[in-house]
Amino acid sequence: MAGFLSALRRIYLSLYNWTVFIGWFQVLYFAVKALREGGPTTVYDAVEKPLQLAQTAAVLEVLVFILCHEDTAWDCRIGEIASVSDFASNWIEIISCLGNLVEHSGGNPYTIRGHMFLLAPWLSAGLLQRLEFFWQSIIRYSFFGMKEALGFAPSWLLWLRYSTFLILYPTGITSEVGLIYVALPFIKASEKYCIRMPNKWNFTFDYFYASIIALAIYVPGMFLMLLIIQVNKDCLPNCFNHISSGSPHMYGYMLGQRKKALSKSKTA
Amino acid sequence: MKVTLVSRSGREVIKGGIELADGATVSDLQEAIHGRIKKYYPSRQRLTLPLQAGSQGKPIVLVPKSKLADYCDGNANNLTVLFKDLGIQVSYSTLFFWEYLGPLIIYPICYYFPVYKYFGYEGERVVYPVQTYALYYWCFHYFKRIMETFFIHRFSHATSPLSNVFRNCAYYWTFGTYIAYHVNHPLYTPVGDLQMKIGFTFGLICQISNLYCHLILRNLRSPSGNGGYQIPGGFLFNIVTCANYTTEIYQWLGFNIATQTIAGYVFLIVASLIMTNWALAKHRRLKKLFDGKEGRPRYPRRWVILPPFI
Repeated sequence: MAGFLSALRRIYLSLYNWTVFIGWFQVLYFAVKALREGGPTTVYDAVEKPLQLAQTAAVLEVLVFILCHEDTAWDCRIGEIASVSDFASNWIEIISCLGNLVEHSGGNPYTIRGHMFLLAPWLSAGLLQRLEFFWQSIIRYSFFGMKEALGFAPSWLLWLRYSTFLILYPTGITSEVGLIYVALPFIKASEKYCIRMPNKWNFTFDYFYASIIALAIYVPGMFLMLLIIQVNKDCLPNCFNHISSGSPHMYGYMLGQRKKALSKSKTA
Repeated sequence: MKVTLVSRSGREVIKGGIELADGATVSDLQEAIHGRIKKYYPSRQRLTLPLQAGSQGKPIVLVPKSKLADYCDGNANNLTVLFKDLGIQVSYSTLFFWEYLGPLIIYPICYYFPVYKYFGYEGERVVYPVQTYALYYWCFHYFKRIMETFFIHRFSHATSPLSNVFRNCAYYWTFGTYIAYHVNHPLYTPVGDLQMKIGFTFGLICQISNLYCHLILRNLRSPSGNGGYQIPGGFLFNIVTCANYTTEIYQWLGFNIATQTIAGYVFLIVASLIMTNWALAKHRRLKKLFDGKEGRPRYPRRWVILPPFI
């Protein structure tokens, strides 16, 4: 019975990872295609639906965690929490911020010149961030898809997983924060997702102020996560085998893991 | 006897170890360490026996009043002790005082001062009776908590890490502000009169019950702080292990019934989850300790915190 369940789990995990990989790859494909054919301003329209779908599917990550985590300690759940928060923030951003931004600026958020956006992330924060996230997800999911289904992952993929983040995490965070910042005036003007008083339950929600708080928490929050991970270092090797988290916020953690994983693969 | 003090990485904390009399207690060891390394006062030291390689279990913590010889198995002249620095410690009273002070000050500020004009709400605001009663209720609650901290509670641990001050204050002060903002808002919508009365009356009864629960718990512990566990009994403790948490949760429920804000209910849920966590641990600990063997009484069947759910 236990054997059957564990096989079932492996099948689910590999199916899940491959499906998500294909989903993100599709987004990347449409993005690049639109970029080449119509220029940066057409990218969002081309990817909007598949992007929202792929990002929302990340909610299934939660199920993945449950499957993977019966045997890890509470401290290791920090990785889960980081991933879930990562998912939540990305989802919120994609669904709301980016959409808002595009909607209110007529589909042309900022002037972008061809390939310049690769060099100037703050100009095309939204686009670049999406591109990077796709790439990371693709790498991440294909890595885990292979690991689960075949029991191993090729060393080049391993290298990719642990090395691409070196550039992508910092630019990713910069562009996420930049995106929220740039979207702020539009958020304030549109009053979207706001709940005002008076109402029966005396509840308010102001998307503008919530975004500002998000900005304030974002970077320190990332460092706080890093700190907590560092403190709970001992349980990390165990964690890592199970978590499919590649949260963009754990730069230092990934660096450490990189050293460990790449040296391990050398001696293996 | 000689005590070798090592850190978890294997490094010797005090070179050459510490020499102590054969009949020395752990407390003597702690004082000796503090004497050698000034910054490690006793409450900052966590002393455990080294875990045997490969064994899982929890490490054995050295209890201050015990004799060192009790922890030596075999070799009565040498003992290796694992040392961990717990970081800067503050007394629990200090911790509780600061975390409760925030809500006690912030709430009246939102009630009395024109803070809402900074959020764009100009002009006079109408203050409903329920908002005034809520102010009294809230302030009474946190005042009561501070008084209990200084005069009633007997803490099992003398101290808590400094980082907890920041964490706990963030929790209480943020939620305090969140709730205070909504209840004292110029556009606040009060509930009906009957609902308000029911809410506050129920809440007040629970607050007083909570106080009584704390008095019962206090009497379980001797003033010298032996820290031994006893089976709580009397009043609601006959039915539920953590009756103090139960009454606390219900008194917040009373407040929320009377004031009806999402903010208040969110706080209630979070607080309940935290307290349930604590209650489960306590219940488990008491059941494990009072297993009915070797003359110890058996822990009776009881609800943990919130009958009939858990």
